[in-house]
Amino acid sequence: MQRNRWQFHLVIRALAYRRGRTFLLIAVLSMAASLATALGIVSLTMEKRVAEEIRKYGANLIIMPEKARISIGSGGLNFGEFSEATYLNQVKTEDAIIRSGIQLEHSLHLSGTLRRGAADILVEGVNFEVIRRLFPWWHIQGSWPNGAEAVIGSRLAARLGIKVGEELELLGVAGVVRPRVAGIVNTGGEEDDLLYLALPELQQVSGRSGQLTLVRLLVTAGGERLKTAMDRLGPLLSGAVVKEVRQVARTSEGLLAKVKLLMMLATVVVLISAGSSVAGTMSASILERGKEIGLMKAMGGGRLNILLLFCGEALLLGVTGGITGYLIGNVIALFIMQTVFAAPPGFISWLVWASMGVSLFLALAGSAGPLVSVFRLDPVRSLRGE
Amino acid sequence: MLISIIMGASVATAFLGLAGELSFRIAMEMRNYGANILVEPMAAEQGGFLSDADLPKIKTVFWRYNITGFAPYLFGVIDISAGTKREKSVVTGTWFARLLTSEGEDESIQGVKVIAPWWGLSGTWPEAVNEAIIGAALAKRLGVVSGEEVTTTKERRTQIFRVVGIVTTGGYEEEQLFAPLATVQSLLGAPGRISRVLVSALTVPMDDFGRRDPAGMSKEEYEKWYCTAYVTSVAKNVEEVMSGSRAKPIWQIASAEGSLLTKLNRLMILLALLALTAAATAVSTSLMASMTERSPEIALMKAIGADSLQIIIVLLGEILVISSVGGLIGYLCGEQLAGFVSRSVFDASLQPSLWLLPTAVVSAMTVAMAGSIMPLRKALAIEPVQGLKG
Repeated sequence: MQRNRWQFHLVIRALAYRRGRTFLLIAVLSMAASLATALGIVSLTMEKRVAEEIRKYGANLIIMPEKARISIGSGGLNFGEFSEATYLNQVKTEDAIIRSGIQLEHSLHLSGTLRRGAADILVEGVNFEVIRRLFPWWHIQGSWPNGAEAVIGSRLAARLGIKVGEELELLGVAGVVRPRVAGIVNTGGEEDDLLYLALPELQQVSGRSGQLTLVRLLVTAGGERLKTAMDRLGPLLSGAVVKEVRQVARTSEGLLAKVKLLMMLATVVVLISAGSSVAGTMSASILERGKEIGLMKAMGGGRLNILLLFCGEALLLGVTGGITGYLIGNVIALFIMQTVFAAPPGFISWLVWASMGVSLFLALAGSAGPLVSVFRLDPVRSLRGE
Repeated sequence: MLISIIMGASVATAFLGLAGELSFRIAMEMRNYGANILVEPMAAEQGGFLSDADLPKIKTVFWRYNITGFAPYLFGVIDISAGTKREKSVVTGTWFARLLTSEGEDESIQGVKVIAPWWGLSGTWPEAVNEAIIGAALAKRLGVVSGEEVTTTKERRTQIFRVVGIVTTGGYEEEQLFAPLATVQSLLGAPGRISRVLVSALTVPMDDFGRRDPAGMSKEEYEKWYCTAYVTSVAKNVEEVMSGSRAKPIWQIASAEGSLLTKLNRLMILLALLALTAAATAVSTSLMASMTERSPEIALMKAIGADSLQIIIVLLGEILVISSVGGLIGYLCGEQLAGFVSRSVFDASLQPSLWLLPTAVVSAMTVAMAGSIMPLRKALAIEPVQGLKG
């Protein structure tokens, strides 16, 4: 007991006596540990952030009736359609989405035609709130509609000569609607050719209450999540199919995987290089203490005793470095994530162990190596200063 | 000490070497999302067409090097039959992977294969004029598999296609038959005509200036807008060479790409900075550690009559030699490292950039010097008597 206390005392005094050196070692150890923490936090939370960014590309899954209409187009572009339409049941579909228990956002669509004067117009019923949130590429000239207002595609507006603020009279199978045009949408895609109404209104006027033609789903990309979602949703839907929008889904997965790999490689490279320098500094500080070790040996200290003393020092340094490193690393990660994604990274508590591990490993590896070579020294020689 | 300088210099080289390449690679990666510019006839509604004679000109515009690919499309509704089954469907004439030679420009491969890498194709791409690929949904309804033939009829013209592949996209393509453009043009009786062109271009993210309406700009502003690779200005470029056309950005792709690109670039810059700072700190601390070991040596030098300047010259000279050797080796290692990262992430080799060699050596020297200031000052303060006594 007495002996242990004495050893502890020795370690503390050794560190306190060489104050400058101790400070330097703690600084480099915490630098390495903070790098590990910061890079760890960034690469772990970045996947989520990038996945969120990728959501801006739009839906990656769609639900459509088993025998849907035939549309002509490429990728996100629709150039027109023909043949009879079939419909989804709104209640059943929404129910299936809820029952599948998958985290996703969805947008309901019903398309049809309404008569204006002598011409038919392609109309789509949507929920504008959802559109505004999930499809950020919609450029609206005018304002977003509220209530019974409508949005018109730019190409259609140009063709029919319709301006913002105009009131349209549209004739459906089951009634007439007179929406005011609140805005003109320009996306460069299929939206430009359509007139958008609120979903319930279109359902009512076209006599298709409770029916949909398409549901767009947005599942956060990454890993196997999409496939799981498809597998789980499929059996719950009757008379409908889930399809992967390959343009968005596949490309996003590829991109995410690459960004992740890149981050991992960068982390490894930085850690190895910083780590080797730190271990080098550690060992330099042991080597210069040859005389001290010689003295200990001369006084009858066994190898184990000396090893314990130095490991004790390394342990203390490592733990202190690890904790400060974790704190500094969090600040760095916070800074990076704030500047890049304007969102806090979120704290990952287990990284404190990773940080501690890195710091301890470097401290111990840096001191154990040189100790072995120091042990080979003859105490007489090292005391004489040779 | 040499090792830590090598490590530092190679990390610096690797990150700087990658940084330039990286934003380009990520931008290329994002082009996998497909075309971001749509070219359509000015009078699309009245059944207008574009001319396929204008297509090679797309590779001669001001922003030609930013255009990574394009594909023309011609659509038509036809009767399609296989065996006993008969359907009304859409045939699309396009280029799959066509060697394009424009005057004064390098040859390039253009077509669907380039701009739509997300297509899931089982089978091969069509090569002969009577080969076609068919959408998965249409194939299922007709009961067609790869290797079989389908007959297409428009008015009184008939064309038999051999199906060489089935395409899955989860989109509209699954309901169509894709065949070489020239064949479809003659089937539809529309020689030389195309209905759409999709262009995939590398662009810079839109900023406030880019969002302004070019019509309201002064001459200088318009020039600046035109000479910045905004998606709108590249679209304008393409529009100018395709007669009777209107080109517009596909905002779903263009806007998402812009914001993602900005963020990833910023992230990479910050990471490189972090790595460089770390490398610099590591190098200078290990220098500090190794300098203090040598206090007896410095004391001896002082004792035999060296003044401060001489000691500084000796020590700095040593550091300069070590750091230039370290910088050189570090540069070589760093190049390999950057090449490895680039290969394993992007499947692309990295051009060795020679300008990094002086950068690596000079930065190794600078860091080494900076790291030795403190220990040097300490060394100069050594009392010879004490230092020699030990």
